[in-house]
Amino acid sequence: MGGSNITGFLPCMMLIGVVIVCALLLDQAQGVNLEGKFLLNVKSSLVDKLNHLNNWNSGDLTPCGWVGVSCSNDGDPVVESLDLSNMNLSGSISGSIGGLVNLIEINISSNGLSRDIPKQIGNCSKLQSLSLNNNYLEGEIPLELGKLQSLSYLNICNNELSGALPEELGNLSSLSDFVAFSNNLSGSIPRSIGKLKNLRRFRVGQNKISGSIPEEIGNCESLQLFGLAQNKLSGSLPKEIGKLGNLTHLILWDNQLSGVIPWELANCTNFVTLALYQNNLVGGIPRELMNLKFLNYLYLYRNALNGTIPKEIGNLSAALEIDFSENLLTGDIPSELGKITKLKLLQLFQNMLTGEIPQELTTLKNLSTIDLSINFLTGKIPIGFQYLPQLKMLQLFNNSLVGRIPDELGLNSRLWVLDLSSNNLTGSIPLHLCKNSNLIKLSVGSNQLAGNIPHGIISCAPLVQLRLSGNSFTGSFPSEMCKLANLSTIELSQNDFSGPIPSEVGKCSKLQRLLLSHNHFTSTLPVELGNITKLVAFNVSSNSLIGPIPAQIFKCRLLQRLDLSGNSFVGTLHDEIGTLSQLELLTLSDNRLSGKIPAVLGNLSHLTELQMGGNLFSGKIPPQLGRLSSLQIALNLSYNNLSGEIPGELGNLELLEFLYLNNNDLSGQIPTSLNNLSSLLGCNFSYNDLSGPIPFLPVFQRAGASSFAGNKGLCGGSLVVCSNIESPISLPQRTGKRTFLLGKVIAIVCAVIGGVSLFFIGVILYLMRRPLEIVAPLQDKHCSDPDADIYFYPKEGFTFQDLIAATDNFDEKFVIGRGACGVVYKAMMPTARTFAVKKLVGKWKCISVTLLNCDKKEKHIFTTLSVMIMPKYAYTMKVTEKCDIYSYGVVLLELVTGKTPVQPLEEGGDLVTWVRNYIKKNSISSDIFDPRLNLDDKSLVAHMTMVMKIALLCTSIAPYERPSMRAVVSMLIESNEREGHYNLFPSRDASYKDHI
Amino acid sequence: MATWALFPLIALLSSTLAAPAAANSEGDALYALRRAVVDPGNVLQSWDPTLVDPCTWFHVTCDHDNRVTRLDLGNAKLSGKLVPELGKLEHLQYLELYMNDFVGHIPEELGGLKSLVSLDLFHNNLTGPIPSSLSKLSNLKFLRLNNNKLTGRIPRELTKLGNLKILNASNNNLCGTIPVAGSFSKFTEQSFVNNPRLEGPELIGFVRYDSGRDCN
Repeated sequence: MGGSNITGFLPCMMLIGVVIVCALLLDQAQGVNLEGKFLLNVKSSLVDKLNHLNNWNSGDLTPCGWVGVSCSNDGDPVVESLDLSNMNLSGSISGSIGGLVNLIEINISSNGLSRDIPKQIGNCSKLQSLSLNNNYLEGEIPLELGKLQSLSYLNICNNELSGALPEELGNLSSLSDFVAFSNNLSGSIPRSIGKLKNLRRFRVGQNKISGSIPEEIGNCESLQLFGLAQNKLSGSLPKEIGKLGNLTHLILWDNQLSGVIPWELANCTNFVTLALYQNNLVGGIPRELMNLKFLNYLYLYRNALNGTIPKEIGNLSAALEIDFSENLLTGDIPSELGKITKLKLLQLFQNMLTGEIPQELTTLKNLSTIDLSINFLTGKIPIGFQYLPQLKMLQLFNNSLVGRIPDELGLNSRLWVLDLSSNNLTGSIPLHLCKNSNLIKLSVGSNQLAGNIPHGIISCAPLVQLRLSGNSFTGSFPSEMCKLANLSTIELSQNDFSGPIPSEVGKCSKLQRLLLSHNHFTSTLPVELGNITKLVAFNVSSNSLIGPIPAQIFKCRLLQRLDLSGNSFVGTLHDEIGTLSQLELLTLSDNRLSGKIPAVLGNLSHLTELQMGGNLFSGKIPPQLGRLSSLQIALNLSYNNLSGEIPGELGNLELLEFLYLNNNDLSGQIPTSLNNLSSLLGCNFSYNDLSGPIPFLPVFQRAGASSFAGNKGLCGGSLVVCSNIESPISLPQRTGKRTFLLGKVIAIVCAVIGGVSLFFIGVILYLMRRPLEIVAPLQDKHCSDPDADIYFYPKEGFTFQDLIAATDNFDEKFVIGRGACGVVYKAMMPTARTFAVKKLVGKWKCISVTLLNCDKKEKHIFTTLSVMIMPKYAYTMKVTEKCDIYSYGVVLLELVTGKTPVQPLEEGGDLVTWVRNYIKKNSISSDIFDPRLNLDDKSLVAHMTMVMKIALLCTSIAPYERPSMRAVVSMLIESNEREGHYNLFPSRDASYKDHI
Repeated sequence: MATWALFPLIALLSSTLAAPAAANSEGDALYALRRAVVDPGNVLQSWDPTLVDPCTWFHVTCDHDNRVTRLDLGNAKLSGKLVPELGKLEHLQYLELYMNDFVGHIPEELGGLKSLVSLDLFHNNLTGPIPSSLSKLSNLKFLRLNNNKLTGRIPRELTKLGNLKILNASNNNLCGTIPVAGSFSKFTEQSFVNNPRLEGPELIGFVRYDSGRDCN
């Protein structure tokens, strides 16, 4: 394609050339020679603001005295060199430059030239060096450059050139240096590159070169530096690179190279730099590479290399820096690294390395950077690290290291960064870490360290970050520390610090993060906090702080996260809080704050979470809260003394996922505008004085009675059916009636479930004698609704949230068995009881809970209870799915037999088969029932027998034999009425019966 | 020719599978966003790319394993383009970029956010189509794309999003018909209003989804 272009172009070009030459000849008589005229033409397309080319005078005979122009020394001087570099020239390069056919060198670099590279340069056939770098040249590299047989140096880097590298590049038989980095070049590397026998340096990094590296590269026998970093190269590294005996630098980082590192690279025995990081290389690190005697820099990080680090690595005797981080390497860190005496940097972080840190590393006197973080390293930190005279950065975080931090660390070197967080270290913080006044970061959080913060740290002037959270440190807040002018982070959370937060804290003028939660800080918050104007995150939750929240704190206008929860703060919340316009998280829960909720909270347009539960706030909920357009995580006002109606404006919180208003004195109806809370995943309105119907929001309908309990006047949803047909939203009459009927069915189902389960629930309740716990004021984030379709009646002394917590959100690791229709999890409750929790699949969302480790005293108690969850499909009467009936039957069987659904294989494998086999042999007798039941109670046995029969019907093998839910319901009611004395909640039950 | 064209694709696919999940690659992904946007309010000032993870950066929330779970940049006066690197935040649950001045396309790489629960891009100046790759976000509950300048069809693949609870595609310039299958059966026309070229619900059995007038 290129060839045909040239043949078409050439005659045309020649014609233009002839015309130009003729034009120039015509006025030759008046002054400068032909080359001078070409140069003046070149000048005319340049913008020379600084008049560097002032002496380019058309009156001179030759241009040989002009600035930037050099001529030959023979009798007939010709222009051999043009050097216009660094002259602040702009404009473009004229094609007339191609008339200067005697040029050997052109240097127009470091100007502001734009437009294309003129193809006429291809006529300068004697050209040896062409430098056009550092301009704004655009367009493609003219393929005419391929004609320059003498060209040995071509530099076009730092321009805006685009298009592909021309195949004609391969014709530049003299080319030694090709420098084209930092352009927009695309396409692939031309195979013709293999023809460049003299090529020594090829530098085309930071472009958009794609495709694979051609194996012809192996023919570039003079190649010393091959640089193509930051491109889009793909495919694997050609093993032919190994033929390049002169290669010293292979720079291919940040591409998409894949496949393995060919061992043949080791044949390039002169390697100094091997930079292959940030690719997709796989496989092992070839041990052959470890024989590269001259290798200084070995960067293989950010790939997917696996296998172990070769022990032969000790042979890299010239290595200064080794970085294998962010791979998938396994095995030990080889002790042979200790042989590389010149090593300055060793980074192996984020691999899967195991074993101990080799002591041999402590012999490397030149080591200044060690990063072995995010591995599975065990054992102690080698004490010898403290003697490394050059050690500046030591990062070993996220491992399983034990023992003490070497006591003299920092004493013998200018330690700069120390991060040992998330290990199992014990002991205390060494005294001399900042001895040489260089430490900027100390991070030892999440260990088992104890003691006070040593004075050497408190007075460490360069310190920027102090992160000590999650240890057992003691002592008071180091007030002296706020003399440290650079300190931006103080994290002391989850320790045993005590005493007051001193007023000196106000002097930490650069402080952005002050995290002090879960300690024993006492007294009041100092008003000087208001002086920390850069503060962004402030957390003092779970301490023993008292007194009012100082209004001065609201001067910290940059605050994004403010957590004061779990203290004993009193008094009112100042209106100034409305000026914290950057606030995203505001947590004031579990204090003794009182007064009204300030309406100005509505100004906090970035607020995503507002937690104010468990206080003494009174008055109305300000309607302005409806303006919190970013509120998404939760609005929690529960456990306060709020009164009045729920403002309809809360319906504007379109992003809100959790709304807790329970345990207040709110009255009136739940506003129908809450129907607009389309993102709501959970809510709680219980224990208020609300009345009227529950709005028809699906989440309300599904939320379960517990979310609305304790409101005498509320009806609808999963509570009692509203006595009048008045629906919260104007449903057509027909639908209203249907709702009413459906309500009846639900009431029936509820009654049945009550009949079957309440007795046992009651027994358990009696047994546990624990108070009812509905929703804690502080909603645990981990408990955020894992499956909005699961509803739970928290009648047994633990909540669904507890179950989630105990099973880590129904995590796989808690699975103890699987049935056809559900999975059984083991749940260890805070009461030290262990339950088997079965989560059923299918549309009947059930949770079945069985006490596993009941002690002998409780043996006679029937300890299985079943919590039947009201499904939305009961509401719409779509409960004909036979699998659901089957699931319900399994639950009933579990209930009466006290056995898990998974049974030993020899017993049939599952509970249904086991029961059937048992009955075949023995018929239904009381022996089949849970032995912990009081089987002497005849009416109970009769009732259980009936339930078992129903269960067997439900679990019929042929789906068409299974009864409908409606039939099951009426059968259970019959049985229940016969044995009616099991109703432990007669008043409730009576209300159900009203509707039957 | 076709084989050659497929080769890099296969290589790319296999490499994405093999790529290690790096904590600081999440920082790099977020930093790519910082570099791509104009931030007159300096809300991204704390985003220091030299830190090993982005968990101390403001507006970023991490889980206990230092993986990014939330990005809260709603109403932050940001402008510029969304970067494809965002798709690398495998543990991201909440991507809140609403009420800014983001322009350009929604990167199809966002389909890689396999933990995403909420994608809020409403009130920006985004153009181009809704990427069908979003149908891979199996945990997605909230998809709010309203008040942009999005064009093209509503990808039918989105009906596969079984957990989708909220879809708001209103106030755009979408065209074609509205899918009605799967999770879309529960969305009312409110989710699609003010798309002048949108033709209404597709008629299953009568009109093929991709037939009909030009729609781009």
